Amino acid sequence: MTRYLKDLWYGWTTTWHSMWITIRHLFRPNKGYTIQYPTVKAPLPERARMRLFNRIEDCIGCGQCARACPTDCIDIQTEKRGKDEPPVFASDGTPIKLRTFVFDIDMTLCCYCALCTFPCPTHCLVMTKEYEYAVYDKRDHIYHFAVDKPRYASPAEKEQPAAKA
Amino acid sequence: MNLDYSGDIMTLNMGPQHPSMHGVLRLELKTDGEVVVEAIPHIGYLHRCFEKHAENIEYPGVVPFTDRMDYVAAMNMELGYVLAVEKLMGIQVNDRVRYIRIIMAELNRIASHLVAAGTYGLDLGSWTPFLHCFRDREKILDFFEETCGARLLYNYNWIGGLMFDLPEGLERRIIEFLDYFEPLVEDLNRLLSYNYIFIKRTASVGIIPPEVAVSYGITGPNLRGSGIKFDVRRNEPYLGYEEFDFEVPVGKGEFGPVGSCYDRYMVRIWEVLQSCRIIRQAIAKLPPGDVHATIPKRVKPPVGEVYMRTECPRGELGYYIVSDGTSKPYRVKVKSPCFTVMSGFREYSRGAMIADIVAIVGSVDIVLVELDR
Repeated sequence: MTRYLKDLWYGWTTTWHSMWITIRHLFRPNKGYTIQYPTVKAPLPERARMRLFNRIEDCIGCGQCARACPTDCIDIQTEKRGKDEPPVFASDGTPIKLRTFVFDIDMTLCCYCALCTFPCPTHCLVMTKEYEYAVYDKRDHIYHFAVDKPRYASPAEKEQPAAKA
Repeated sequence: MNLDYSGDIMTLNMGPQHPSMHGVLRLELKTDGEVVVEAIPHIGYLHRCFEKHAENIEYPGVVPFTDRMDYVAAMNMELGYVLAVEKLMGIQVNDRVRYIRIIMAELNRIASHLVAAGTYGLDLGSWTPFLHCFRDREKILDFFEETCGARLLYNYNWIGGLMFDLPEGLERRIIEFLDYFEPLVEDLNRLLSYNYIFIKRTASVGIIPPEVAVSYGITGPNLRGSGIKFDVRRNEPYLGYEEFDFEVPVGKGEFGPVGSCYDRYMVRIWEVLQSCRIIRQAIAKLPPGDVHATIPKRVKPPVGEVYMRTECPRGELGYYIVSDGTSKPYRVKVKSPCFTVMSGFREYSRGAMIADIVAIVGSVDIVLVELDR
C-alpha cells in the first residue's frame, strides 16, 4: 500500500515538473520555433548546396567533373573543333578547344556532394540555392545543358569590366 | 535445452515496418504469453553494398557514401574514413583542421545524442522531449549548413583537409549556442530523465552486464552504460583528443542494476555536456591556418593496409582499408558499432516483456543503415 502511494506521488509530481515546463512555454513571449513553410522560407546560407547548374558558355568540356562524380550522374560528350573555325574563349579567357555537344546531368542520381564543382577550371559548374524542383516525370530531372549559346569571341571581352573596376 | 512449454510459444514478427523500430529491423519474437523467450533480429533490409561500392570509386568519392551510412552523425562517419586514408598516406594536417574537425564531430555528437534521447522518449510514449530535442538539434544543423552547405550529408571532411574554412563569426555563434543550450539539458532532464514513469519503464529493463558487453564487443555509450570506462577518445586518442579536458561518464545504476536502459540513456545525456566542454576548449584554442594546405592533388596511397578506429556517437567505428597503389581502394571494411550491439540482442532481451523490447531497442540507439551498410 505504501509502495502504491509512493508510486502515485512520484509519478504525479515528476509529471507536473515536466508539465510546468510545457506551461511555461505557453506563456513565454515567443517568436515561435516554426515557420509557415510554403509562404515563408528560411534564408539559405551562402554555401547552400542544391541543384546543379552549368554555364555552358564557359564550359571547356574537360570532363573533370564527370570523373570526380561518385555516382556518374554527369554525361559529357565532346568533339574537337575544326581548325578553320574561329577561336572561342570562356569568360575567364580559357580557350575552348572542344565542342561540348552533350552535357547532361541526371539530378535523380546526384548525391549533392559538390565534388564536381571544385575541379572545374573555369568555375562554370555550380550548385545553386534552388531546392524546389519536383516534377511529375522522372525524365524531366535530366538536364541538358549543351545548347548553342553565343561564346566569347576573344578573351578581351570579359576582361574589359575587370579593367574598368 | 528442453522447452517443455514449447507448444505454447507463439512466434510474432515485430517489424520490419514498425513505428518503434529505428529503421527497418525485423525482430522474430518467440513469446510465451507476454514474456519474450527469445528475440532474433533479422537484419539486412538496408544492405546497400557500401564496401563493394567503395572498391569502384576513387578515394575522395567514398566520403559521400560514408555519410550515408550513419546519416544522424555523418561528420563522425566521414572523419573515421578520412583519418584512415590520411594515416595510410602519411598526411599530417595542421592544427586548424584538427580543431575544426573536433568541433564539428562533437557538435554532431550532441545532435546525434539529442535524436537518440528524443526518439527514445517517443518510443516510450512521451512526445514533448522529442520536440525540445529537435528544436536544439536544428540549430546545430544550421551551423553545419552554414559551414558546408548541407544539413545532413556533409562531405565536409576531405582527405588532407576540409571543404571550407569556418564562415565568419561562427565560433562566436557556437559559443552563444552552447550558453543557451547547456541550461536546457536540465530542462530535458526534468521533462524525461527524472520522470518517474520513465524511470520505472527503463531502470531495470534490458540489463547488459559488463561481462556480456565485453564478450559481444559492445562499444560506445552502450558499453559505458554497463559501467566500463572505455572511450576511444581517451584510451587511444586520435586527432589530439589528449589535449582536451573531459570526463568519460559511465552508468551508475542509480535506480536499478548497472547496465540498464536508463544507464545507457543517462550516459548519452552526460556525454552531451562533456561534448560542450570539448567544443568550448577547442574554440578557445582555435589557431589560424589554411584548411586546404595539405589536400593532395591526387589521392594515391602507397601499397599497404591501415586500421583506424574513432569514437562515433554510437560507439567505436573502425575502418580497415587495403590499398594496392591505385587511386581506388582495394578493400574497405567497416567495423560498425551498431552491428556489434545488435549481435548481443538475443542475450540481453531474453525474458523481457513485449513492451520492453521497444524500450531495449530504443536504448541501444541503433541506426539500421549503418548496421547493414
